[in-house]
Amino acid sequence: MGRLIARRLLTAIPTLLAIIVLSFILMRVAPGGPFDGERPLAPEVRAALEATYGLDKSLPEQVWMYLGRLAQGDFGPSMVYRDFTVSGLIAEALPVSLLIGGCALVLASALGISAGLWAALRAGKWQDEALMLGATLLTALPTFVTGPLLALIFGLWLGWLPVSGQNEGWNWLVLPVVALALPVTGAVAKLARAGLAGELGADHIRAARARGIAPLTILRRHALRPALVPVASYLGPAAAALLTGAVVIETVFGLPGLGRYFVQGALNRDYPLVLGVVTLYAALIILFNLFADLIYGWLDPRMREG
Amino acid sequence: MNEGYVVRNLRVCVRDHVIVEDISFTLSPGEIVALAGASGAGKSMSAMTPFGLSAGVASGSAILDGIELVGLPERQLSRVRAENIGFVFQQPLTALTPHRTVRQHLQEAAMQAGGSKPDKTAMVAMLDSVGLSRPEERLAQYPHRLSGGERQRVLIAAALAHGPRYLIADEPVSALDAALRGEIMALLVRLCRERGMAMLLVSHDLAGIEHHADRLLLLEQGKVAESGTARQIATSPATDYGKRLMAATPRLSERLPPLPEMGETLLEAENVHVHFPKPGWGRGRIDAVVDASLTLAKGETLALVGGSGSGKSTLGRAIAGLGSMASGLISWQGEALPLRQRRSAEHRRLIQPVFQDPLASLDPRWSVADIIAEPLRWLVPEAERDDRAADLLEEVGLPRDFATRKPASLSGGQAQRVAIARALSANPEMLLLDEATSALDPLVADGVVALFGRLQRERGLSLLFITHDLALARRAAHRIAVMEAGRIVECAPREELFANPQADATKRLIAASG
Repeated sequence: MGRLIARRLLTAIPTLLAIIVLSFILMRVAPGGPFDGERPLAPEVRAALEATYGLDKSLPEQVWMYLGRLAQGDFGPSMVYRDFTVSGLIAEALPVSLLIGGCALVLASALGISAGLWAALRAGKWQDEALMLGATLLTALPTFVTGPLLALIFGLWLGWLPVSGQNEGWNWLVLPVVALALPVTGAVAKLARAGLAGELGADHIRAARARGIAPLTILRRHALRPALVPVASYLGPAAAALLTGAVVIETVFGLPGLGRYFVQGALNRDYPLVLGVVTLYAALIILFNLFADLIYGWLDPRMREG
Repeated sequence: MNEGYVVRNLRVCVRDHVIVEDISFTLSPGEIVALAGASGAGKSMSAMTPFGLSAGVASGSAILDGIELVGLPERQLSRVRAENIGFVFQQPLTALTPHRTVRQHLQEAAMQAGGSKPDKTAMVAMLDSVGLSRPEERLAQYPHRLSGGERQRVLIAAALAHGPRYLIADEPVSALDAALRGEIMALLVRLCRERGMAMLLVSHDLAGIEHHADRLLLLEQGKVAESGTARQIATSPATDYGKRLMAATPRLSERLPPLPEMGETLLEAENVHVHFPKPGWGRGRIDAVVDASLTLAKGETLALVGGSGSGKSTLGRAIAGLGSMASGLISWQGEALPLRQRRSAEHRRLIQPVFQDPLASLDPRWSVADIIAEPLRWLVPEAERDDRAADLLEEVGLPRDFATRKPASLSGGQAQRVAIARALSANPEMLLLDEATSALDPLVADGVVALFGRLQRERGLSLLFITHDLALARRAAHRIAVMEAGRIVECAPREELFANPQADATKRLIAASG
């Protein structure tokens, strides 16, 4: 297992480098720049700014300089939010995103897996069909519909929960977390149901039944782990996406998370900010796929080889 | 208490279909009773349904040691299974839970009837008694580390761990390599005799069970066609069905059937090597075929026989130009055939393949006529193509109107005949038959083997007959080549091979098929 981790972390380095260089070039190829405001800047001001940020150098040189600073852990300054470094912006926004995404991840896994397993045990009955219809609906509804809807019902009409911003307590978390978790819950429920329903027909389950093992023990001991393999493969990348911020949810509920910086950064051509967020996102995806692989190995020992 | 397992007028329905009707038999303590018959005859259904282990619903009566099983609630039925019975299933590859070690399987099995947790010595003894090598090491292993035969031994050890008085074995050896079948079957019988267990054995392989079972029930379409002692049914079946079934099962003891005359040599393969890179990151290669040479004459059948992994299919594929070849020379009537990518349409016409799984080798969305006529696509106008397809259907013994059907509506034997018609439509000189009858029921397989014989006589076809079944090879082939670990260890005319076997692999195969 140690070798698997080491190998995966080593192959992650070229992957990350390729992603950074590609995004760097893509950003520069896009028309416009960080200093194209409503009013054009005086040419000498603009030249001075570009010299400060190194934009007057050739593209390969800039990539090289960026990578050099990145190797020292420096994401560079933001070009639009003056006086802020990208690291500072991320450090401020990431905890909010991690909190909301983490809660949503836990909620979606717990709810989705239990609902999926429950449906699989009633496969073909009406409870199963109703639950799977609900899961399909949840997966299909975009967060820009469910978010405002939840805010309208529980915030405005019923007045139970705050609809915007953070407060001292915890209840500001409820609506964004639920809205973020809903589609993931639906997908997890469908995968868990399909996984277990397939597993229950397998030969090794029949062999366990032949030994007279109690149904709940069979479920826990023989069926659960293989049934969760598809869930694990989905949750790896989904976790990375949840934890790095959800633009729509952050916008709807007025939260200062990472997702907003990503979109704002891209719109403003704030090159270092976008690259910083992309790098973070890519690193998290690689990390969570590694977690998913380790979980596979635990769920099914056959996957530890190869 | 009435000991034994008594089944009276058992009827099994799946949804509204009656699968098994009016089956009665008795399994006395210490006795071995076999349920045999063609596939779909209801053998497994009859054995498994009273114990709640099939999709069917049982009615009638099945009494085990005085307890009526039919209608017993699942909770109590589950106790009956746990306490009295050990089950062995057909698929050793999938009947063990992948994330549980051999030790965990044995512990669960030993404790299923309320026994105490077995210690290491006890578990090693269990594995030892089923003939598994290095038992201490195996305990910590996961099932995927074991071969099919090793897994079946673990399953047998688990089935016996709680000391049951009955063993129910559903096709326990049919998924295993030919060389292993006899060995595992003998192990099961020995364990039953030693421990005084009774066994209900389900099998479609009459030749494999007739020496082992005390009594035999032949099932035909859910009914008992014939029952009696195994010996009596094997030697002189009373019913027509029994006679056909017995005749369809090749045996080494049978008289050699005559084969058509052969002509001059057509195909020569010299020093064929095939290797594959080892899977994974490591270096190294797997030598699948090593220095294999063979010849095939016009109108001749050459059987390529060996255990699984012996390289027989890989060699066949290399010869037909379907698989890669590292070095070697393949020539046709003295002219060298190029490597597979460089073979022309005319080269490809010469050798046509028929594979093991007929349904998997037919495109499910195509009609039978389109499947058969695909090789003629750019050569023959459409109207004539349909005629040719219908003619070919007739030649392989199917009605002409099958042309409009889809593969899903065909039985296994019909689908294999369609696959043969497709091979014939290219007008080949030689067929590569890769286990072409092993997925079929004995009666159907016998019909397909007879079809190959007829095609050979009528068209003068040469056949490269790849099979794991030595008795079948003896029945159908002029010469037999035995493969082991990628090498052809012996190749001789069939009479000579059996009269005077040279290689150890051949002797082992003959012993295993006897």
